[in-house]
Amino acid sequence: MFFKQIDLTTALRPSLISGEELLFVQDGVGLYEGKYKIPDCQQGYAYLTSLRVYYVDEKEPRKNSVAFDLREVEKTDYQAGFLKSSPKITFHPKLPRDGHQSVRLADGRIAVEEGSSSFPGSRANSPRRYSSLSSPLPPSNATWICPICSFSNPVPSNFDPSNANASIPLPPCLACGIKPPLAVVLKAAVAAASKRILPQHPDEEFSGNANSTIDDPVQTETTITCPRCTFHNHVSLPACEICGAPLRSEQQHYPMANGGSKPRRAESPGPQLAELNLDDNAELASVKISFRAGGDKTFYDRLKGAMTQRKWLLQSAPSIPSPLSPSTTGDLDNETGLARTPITRPASTPVGIAGLERRGLEMRKNNEVVIGTAFEDLEALMASAKDIVALAEKFAIDSGRNAAETSSVFSESAAALGMVTTKDKLNSGSDNLYLSELSRNLAEYLTDDRTGVLRAEGGVMSLVDLWAVFNRSRNGVELVSPLDFHKAADLWGRLNLPVRLRRFKSGLLVVQRSDWNDDKTVQQFKTWLGQLQQIAPAEEVHWEWSLFGRGVSAQETAQRFGWSVGVAIEELEMAEDKGVLCREEGIEGLKFWSNFLVEVGSDAE
Amino acid sequence: MATASSSLTTSSMFTFPPTYSFPPFFSPQPNAQTRSAQLSKWSSLVQSYCRHHRIFKLLLSDALESPLFHNSKLKRRLSAHDAKAVVDYMTSKEGDNRAEWIGPATEKASAWIWWRRPEEWAGVLEAWVDGTGQKGTVLTLYELVEGEATESQEFHGMDMEVLRKSLGTLVKKGKAQVFGGEGQEGVKFF
Repeated sequence: MFFKQIDLTTALRPSLISGEELLFVQDGVGLYEGKYKIPDCQQGYAYLTSLRVYYVDEKEPRKNSVAFDLREVEKTDYQAGFLKSSPKITFHPKLPRDGHQSVRLADGRIAVEEGSSSFPGSRANSPRRYSSLSSPLPPSNATWICPICSFSNPVPSNFDPSNANASIPLPPCLACGIKPPLAVVLKAAVAAASKRILPQHPDEEFSGNANSTIDDPVQTETTITCPRCTFHNHVSLPACEICGAPLRSEQQHYPMANGGSKPRRAESPGPQLAELNLDDNAELASVKISFRAGGDKTFYDRLKGAMTQRKWLLQSAPSIPSPLSPSTTGDLDNETGLARTPITRPASTPVGIAGLERRGLEMRKNNEVVIGTAFEDLEALMASAKDIVALAEKFAIDSGRNAAETSSVFSESAAALGMVTTKDKLNSGSDNLYLSELSRNLAEYLTDDRTGVLRAEGGVMSLVDLWAVFNRSRNGVELVSPLDFHKAADLWGRLNLPVRLRRFKSGLLVVQRSDWNDDKTVQQFKTWLGQLQQIAPAEEVHWEWSLFGRGVSAQETAQRFGWSVGVAIEELEMAEDKGVLCREEGIEGLKFWSNFLVEVGSDAE
Repeated sequence: MATASSSLTTSSMFTFPPTYSFPPFFSPQPNAQTRSAQLSKWSSLVQSYCRHHRIFKLLLSDALESPLFHNSKLKRRLSAHDAKAVVDYMTSKEGDNRAEWIGPATEKASAWIWWRRPEEWAGVLEAWVDGTGQKGTVLTLYELVEGEATESQEFHGMDMEVLRKSLGTLVKKGKAQVFGGEGQEGVKFF
């Protein structure tokens, strides 16, 4: 089970894969590896989805946020809080399934284990500081000898002896160019792995019992003798210059094995690791999440649900076969015997306009079939949902229960149908978390480059417009009330998100990017009006357009910048307040000009 | 008095400043800074217009139709409300006291436009009297404004009221003395 670096969206939430569904969010969690706290990962948010568990750190989200896949979790444990320690959920990783199971423990040693998971008590007795070595997995240090030319080639780093089979491509020998048989590479990998494991136990006497014929490299003061060809290499070389044999043996990374002092036991409680190790190759013993702000029970329940559902298997599953659709057009019948899904094209593609027309017809038929089948079930669901909710309402009214109970009845009925709302995902009662998640969601939605909502509106959008667009995009589920929306928008400033709420003089609330300010808008106005001054106006005008340019109305401004008209008026008035523009009220309406009235010396006499 | 206010009999056409052709000039500005700039520009426009046309007293209703407040080419005009605001500004200290409402303040129908204040006129008069060596002689007011001797002078054709006001300042300073009945006043400069 590996920790993975994750991608965060602009609002500092994890970006989910398509098909991944968010199940639960909890704040105030800390991350542990094995028994030890991981520093810098003690205060953050845990996101549970159908495929993964994410940890997003609160202080440095981009640096210290990690995730691990649920498919790699063997089992989970729940540990209730006791006195000072908070409740924890432990995730045990799956063990690789072959006879040769090597799991790297939290203290950096590799224990060989066959079958049962009884990690020796030595692990508990002498916890070591996790050295941040990235000593590679067995294969990459191994070398295989080519049977034809006896040149020693390195085994590729992604070669895993446990999972190797005939389909893995093997690189050819570097000297003679001939691909080796799989057995040779396998043997070399296994031998190197076993060789590495043996010298690790300081308390035991394996070191004298080298199984391999190759000796370990001997290090003198300035040179290292290669174990294979006895060439004296420089101390800092990783591999021998002549034959390429690895020089760095694991022994050198454990000087303590050669009689160094016993490592100190870290202080309790919550001993810490040196740092968070995100190395792809580092396997973990177990991971714990500690819930310091509650939410553990719900998290555990949802987690169990997600583990039983095993949504990750769907990703590799074949697509659902659809029922045979009888072909109605006569000329597609070359393969009438085959089962065709609605999506496949006919093998014989007719040419010409007739062909295009037929293709269009087929596509439409396809769509009809697909949509029809989809909506059949949906309608059945919606019908029953309505019934149940109506029933609950009736009972509530009849028995005259108070509002709190009725809402709990609703949420129960909704949950029973599987319609889990976002509020439920967040251990409802904690409004703050709902609002902060909502505001992050909004920020992502606004800055999403695919839809470009904010950009389409010229960078400024009124809050009401945004509310309408956002709810429309939700397609009828999980709509947001205006009050919640407003509160979430207020949180943008506090959460340092890339958008902010701005209030105009007249009280209009708009949404704008954080790095955009009034001066930039003013500058835009100035350049635009300056440009207008260069061009002659369309119709005959009676003032010196070369001197004064032209006035602009709010509609023109809105069109030019992509704003809505209300926003345009507000921006123009803002520029007028700054003294950059002056207004003119004429028969045609309100227009704004560059402010020549305050310019010095523009008046004769 | 009535003739002076609406006379446009001048030899040359008055050249309006470029701001006169700026449409926003005719619309009241909400921004305070812009507003004060606008008002001061209006004030100087009114003064120079009146100076050119020798208008001492501005009747607002007439002025609204005159080219002063109505730019026919641009099809923009100053509304009565705005015109009153301009004159109000000119009467205030900010506006340099360049105007004075005539009559009760509630009906703001006409105003003196002091493109040259009475004190300044007094200075001009005094300079002329001194220059022509007429100190000590008695001159009638009529002679001052309509006499041939003063034709080349700026105060020729000046409004009687204005003349009286300016002579009044001189009297206060003790530099002149006015006597005589209505219509035949005379003044003696010391």
